[in-house]
Amino acid sequence: MLSTEPGSASRRFFYSAIFWLIVPGMMGLILATLLYLPAIYDPLPLAIKPYLSFGRLRPTHVNLMIFGWLSQAYVGGILFILPRITRAKLFSERLAHVNWWLWNLMMLGVLITLPLGLTQGREYAEMIWPLDLLLIANWVLLAVNIWGTFRRREEPKVYVSLWSFMAATIVFIGVYAVGNKVWDPSGAFTGMNDNIVNYFYVHNLFNSWFTTAGLGLALYLLPKLTDKPLYSHRLGLWGLWSVWTGQHHQLYSPAPDWLEYLTIVFSILAVVPTIAFMVNFFMTMRGRWYRAAEDVALRFLVTGALFWAITCVQGVAQSFRTFSLYVHFTNWVIGHSHLAFVADYSFWAFALIYLMIPVLVRRPMYSRKLMEWHYWLTTAGMSIFMVALWIGGLIQGQNWLTNSIPFIETVRSMAPYFALRLIGGLMAGAGVLCFAYNVWQTTRQPTAVPVLSPVVAPGGGGGGE
Amino acid sequence: MKLQQNIVYLTGGSIISLLLGIIITIIIPAQDPAALGPSPLARPYTEQELWGREIYKREGCQYCHTQQVRAPEANLGMIHKKGDIGPESAPGDYYYQSPVFWGTNRQGPDLAHVASREGIGDNPAWHQLHFKNPRATTPGSVMPSFDYLSAAELEALTAYMLTLK
Repeated sequence: MLSTEPGSASRRFFYSAIFWLIVPGMMGLILATLLYLPAIYDPLPLAIKPYLSFGRLRPTHVNLMIFGWLSQAYVGGILFILPRITRAKLFSERLAHVNWWLWNLMMLGVLITLPLGLTQGREYAEMIWPLDLLLIANWVLLAVNIWGTFRRREEPKVYVSLWSFMAATIVFIGVYAVGNKVWDPSGAFTGMNDNIVNYFYVHNLFNSWFTTAGLGLALYLLPKLTDKPLYSHRLGLWGLWSVWTGQHHQLYSPAPDWLEYLTIVFSILAVVPTIAFMVNFFMTMRGRWYRAAEDVALRFLVTGALFWAITCVQGVAQSFRTFSLYVHFTNWVIGHSHLAFVADYSFWAFALIYLMIPVLVRRPMYSRKLMEWHYWLTTAGMSIFMVALWIGGLIQGQNWLTNSIPFIETVRSMAPYFALRLIGGLMAGAGVLCFAYNVWQTTRQPTAVPVLSPVVAPGGGGGGE
Repeated sequence: MKLQQNIVYLTGGSIISLLLGIIITIIIPAQDPAALGPSPLARPYTEQELWGREIYKREGCQYCHTQQVRAPEANLGMIHKKGDIGPESAPGDYYYQSPVFWGTNRQGPDLAHVASREGIGDNPAWHQLHFKNPRATTPGSVMPSFDYLSAAELEALTAYMLTLK
């Protein structure tokens, strides 16, 4: 249960992450189907209808994806990387296993409570109070392991990834505690402030956790997969926060105008860390692009980074009032959130798993062909999915503002885009099944062959141990 | 020691940045006088209406319906007829609400002023029928049917809808 074998906790986090990718992935396909063919829901038996209702399934899908899949894949990667960039043993492998049990208890709680309608009703903050507390406990345990390993490091240089992990965990604990009002079981503020706090949290869930820890993971993977030192460590630090931009989700809302203007300014400033990362990325990739053709892990990393650049460009555009007026509330936004969560952060997580699983199970990946299928199905599927929603969203936004088309017509006009989204989602889902089957078969291979454990020297670069 | 090696500065800086973020984007806006009192549209809820809000939250209505009208679309945006989206939302409209259901997505129309839509949103019988069979009242709707709710629940939800004037 609580093994002390190095790497065992990391491995477990990757396995459970993949499990929590498939479960909410199927929910996502159900949701996409319900939007395209809403009438198929009507004849279902009354006993199961509540649990498959769109409004209950959607938050279940979202929470399981971000906390079950993506966060656990991140933690698996962090636990794998920590000993390698500090040249020390993980602070406590046992603690990491406790963390794993509690984490999956939390996800099981989400899987049970949200379909039952036990929710706090605020986007990304739906978990009920006991689960909020469990989440805080999980992040505290993770922070203890990260900071503990940092304290016993043998490597004098602090690699930029290490700092990202250290800061991301503690800042996220603060963001979550405030954003979910964890000192109050109801979890909600009153009136306008409730929404302001909610969107402070929603945006900083991206900034402080998924982006900061994600860039830490990417800045480890990049030199590792290219066998080249990182172009600049100083630039890596510019992946700092823009914790002030949350209210750009609320342009033209009843929130104070000055707050909107302030967040617009800070959203524009967020261009700086984006450019810093992209410069770092392209300069490190220089002379190594050919490797992306051979190495599926690097290809996922590169594709994710390019999608990340699009996310940031969209993000800045969306934080202008003129553009927001057209796309806010439309399906464009759903496309944008899948771009961030699936096409960049999840792609980086795939790269992590393809690099690390062979080391952790001491077996090479079972099938190169399945990796190719995974890459192409997921990339093509998500591209269709997102482009369909972006086009559909622009049409919706335009139609709403013409004031001559009844709302229901703008709903009907979404059908072809919903169909394309469903097709794209099915393709991406098939890709994920290739991935999961491939990992499963890798662990089942009989002969354990030694795989060189990757090490990134703090100065960058790679090489075996 | 180089900046990128000094973990105290880096972590301290991030925590200060977080605290400033909390002060500037949460604590100061909370003092906004416009949100400190109810608007003419806001009134305290009855017990049944509060239950209706709970059902609205439990069934996740807020994922497909917003409750905020932005200035450029106010009195102009169209649900059934021109302008029936209603007036721009004011901070005081939400004075008695916890949580608020501003929402981020409109698979269905905005509901901030649904009870002001004549013959439809202001009609309890229409709401009941629409909850049970959305495609009967609104062909082409993608809303799930809520025929699994009890009669009392449907009444409470309807009572809440009628507060959205």
